[in-house]
Amino acid sequence: MDAGALRTEVKELLATGLRLELAPSDIPDESPIFGDGLGLDSIDALELVVLVEEKFHVSIPDEEVGRQAFASVSALVQFILSERAR
Amino acid sequence: MSLAGRRVLVTGGSRGIGAATALAFAEAGAHVGFNYAREEDGDEAAATLAALRKTGATAHAARADVSSADAVASMLDEMRTALGGLPEVLVNNAAVTHDGLLMMLPEAAWDRVLEVNLKGAYLCSRVVLRGMIAARAGRIVNLVSPAAFFGKEGASNYAAAKGGLVALTKSLAREVARFGITVNAVSPGFVATQLVSDMSEAERARIQKDVPLGRFGRPEEIAAAVLFLASEQAGYLTGTTLHVDGGLTML
Repeated sequence: MDAGALRTEVKELLATGLRLELAPSDIPDESPIFGDGLGLDSIDALELVVLVEEKFHVSIPDEEVGRQAFASVSALVQFILSERAR
Repeated sequence: MSLAGRRVLVTGGSRGIGAATALAFAEAGAHVGFNYAREEDGDEAAATLAALRKTGATAHAARADVSSADAVASMLDEMRTALGGLPEVLVNNAAVTHDGLLMMLPEAAWDRVLEVNLKGAYLCSRVVLRGMIAARAGRIVNLVSPAAFFGKEGASNYAAAKGGLVALTKSLAREVARFGITVNAVSPGFVATQLVSDMSEAERARIQKDVPLGRFGRPEEIAAAVLFLASEQAGYLTGTTLHVDGGLTML
């Protein structure tokens, strides 16, 4: 899967999985997923960890990895691609 | 949540309160897994497993030390296969004691008790939570002790671990409440297990005098409280401790 298609899937997962009141296409590529931006907090992140692990078969074992992976939609796409390349 | 068909993991389930709890879940129709840590407890675990299966329940026993992250990961893999998925109910019951007065307590005795009794609950909870958050449901029940609330001379390591587990219960309850997961504790008082049989007659008499209900508890009475907290009826309870102790604590 190329980065563009993956980016679309990630945004769909964010919008539906976390029940955002936002269309997938309205989710910005570069703003932080948690904190400001989408109005999500670190506890919502737990659910995203589970959703991302399940859907993309990657492992986000702790907060250090999570912080990196969830820095932005682009970062998450890069994270998934690099985990898959391993 | 009817307990029939639920996947349950009881840590430290080969004997005592853990075995009674595993059996009560099996009798309620749950699929029950438990672990035991030491090779010499293998026969006891086999007997408990046979008792669980006699109820018609799906049951599985794994040998694993809950204080090791790797051992917990493989135990949960084993349970996932044996029970048909990650546990929907986790009972953190595994515990060890190594008593001694603090000033003279060997560092290894401190570490071991904290690792099994407190870190073990952390390691097991963090694995099962992934399944519970995905399901947006789940129950965690931690076995604590009156020592967590009163302290206990000669058992500062045990009391500290159990006090820590009470605080973990409350903190985790807050963290996962929005996912429909509840986290509670059961604090058994003096229960008729091996530990009590080993006491002197005088010590037993003194303890019974301190307990308003005037007797030792039965393992099944502790199990009943754990099953209640795991049930649908307990859906509005989280972060709390049920003191099943004959009135010893009254908190």
